[in-house]
Amino acid sequence: MNVLKVPKHAIGIFILPALLLYICIVFVPILYSFYVGTLDWNGYGVSKFVGFDNYHKLLFDDPYFWPAVRRTFLYAAASMIEIPFCLMMAVLLNRYVRKANTLVSIYFTPVILSVVIIGQLWKTIYNPTSMGGMLNQALISVGLESWAHTWLAEPKIAIYCIYFVSLWQYFGYHLLIQFTGVQNIPSEIYEAAKIDGAEGFKADRYITFPMIVPIFKISLVLAFIGSLQSFDMVWVMTGGGPAHATDVLATYMYTQSFNSQEFGYGSALASLLVVLCLVFTVVINTVMNRIDKRFS
Amino acid sequence: MPNIAKGLVYLLIAVLVVTQLYPLIWLALYSLKTNEEILSGQFFALPAKWQWHNYVEAYTNGSYIKYLGNSVIITAVTLICVIVLSAMVAYAITRFKFRFGPAVMLVFLVGMMIPMQSTLLPLMKIFSPLELINTRWALILPYVAFQLPIAIFILSGFMRSIPTEMEESAHIDGANVYRIFRSIILPISIPPVMTVCILTFITIWNEYIMAATFISSDRLKTLPFGIYSFVSQYSVNYGDIGAYMVMGAAPVILIYFVLSSRITKGMVAGAVKG
Repeated sequence: MNVLKVPKHAIGIFILPALLLYICIVFVPILYSFYVGTLDWNGYGVSKFVGFDNYHKLLFDDPYFWPAVRRTFLYAAASMIEIPFCLMMAVLLNRYVRKANTLVSIYFTPVILSVVIIGQLWKTIYNPTSMGGMLNQALISVGLESWAHTWLAEPKIAIYCIYFVSLWQYFGYHLLIQFTGVQNIPSEIYEAAKIDGAEGFKADRYITFPMIVPIFKISLVLAFIGSLQSFDMVWVMTGGGPAHATDVLATYMYTQSFNSQEFGYGSALASLLVVLCLVFTVVINTVMNRIDKRFS
Repeated sequence: MPNIAKGLVYLLIAVLVVTQLYPLIWLALYSLKTNEEILSGQFFALPAKWQWHNYVEAYTNGSYIKYLGNSVIITAVTLICVIVLSAMVAYAITRFKFRFGPAVMLVFLVGMMIPMQSTLLPLMKIFSPLELINTRWALILPYVAFQLPIAIFILSGFMRSIPTEMEESAHIDGANVYRIFRSIILPISIPPVMTVCILTFITIWNEYIMAATFISSDRLKTLPFGIYSFVSQYSVNYGDIGAYMVMGAAPVILIYFVLSSRITKGMVAGAVKG
């Protein structure tokens, strides 16, 4: 291929504006976080260099850190468990519904709304009966009064209520991705399989599933990485409360940094979050590629 | 397949339509009820009398137009910057031969994995002395930066597939690289640019935490932040809150109603290529 001969300055003009902005907004802050993470600093007064003390405290002396880690990974697990169900729905819609596109668009509606709206809406649904919460009203109206809860105010169940809303919102997203994948499998393959006697679930077993693996993988990676970074839903619905019972890594970092003014400690948490995201993105991609190879 | 199983499949599909849509419909009904109706437990019932004044109150008390305007301005400027900057980088990476090309791409790809929230605190510290806090730039700059990687990824994928003959003949005809970029590359890249627009629009329009962290003046709040403030301020008037949330959701829902197939296609392209 003949590549255009361009003057040197053109390269700079095309690349530098974006690159400089990107480095200043994304990389400089991360490096700054790594640095502030080694300080004892409230953000305004005198700062003191403390080395890895913040990290030590985080890993060994912080009663809220490990539960937040556990909740973050549970978030990821919950989001990933939803995806096989989305695939199943995609296959069923593709087979039994003529204009499935419209239905998929309907399922997709919650995805385009702001988490602020979704979170507030579900907060209202989870409200105690005295405040008109729909979930409790529904339970009472079918005679399950004993199942009524103050959902988001109860430390033991609040986080599961939040997981559920995330699954609810992103159901349409993963369904859409799987559905598009299923639709892109050429129909000739199914016709050929039909002649060979493979139809319905047998065709799924030998055609749909092997061919959808790359798309399925994409959904899993997106769900996993998205959950590691989960923040908004928790923040809008509970703010990490009651008493840190719904904190995930990102919300705990935010509370420490902005509400408790522990800038050094918050930065150490932020740095850890960045490292965790980078490491796990690489890990999950490697794992998925291994699985991919086994199937192809 | 036996009819019972088929029936079960349709039932499942129908149940999912209800679970995915009913909360939104419930919100619309909620916004038209009185406090007494909301508390009565008749959550399925239509309002006895449609309380349109909830909307009037939400509108007059909530600075809706102001927040909407801020969201429009910030999203529009972000969109333009993202498209121009990412198209330039994508073009340079796919067509210019220079030593650092792959390295530039790698820098953008690594950044894709960095969670936006972890930059909030350092950006706060960096923006304060530059007096950017409480200005629209405090949102636009990070919004553009964080949308660049996916945009570059999508656009460079497309540009790689454009045959080089057109550019070569334009070059022979005396057009320089800027002219080629403006008159050939940008016009034929409109389909992937639309995808980038959709992805950026949905993300930026709905963004909340950065707005809530960098903006404190009511004059500059974006819509998601405005909704959040309204809900926490008027927590006793349920109908008004519902009305405000419906109004907050309305712009995106309307756009989705008109462009749904475009939006779903763009989101899939973004997911699969990202």
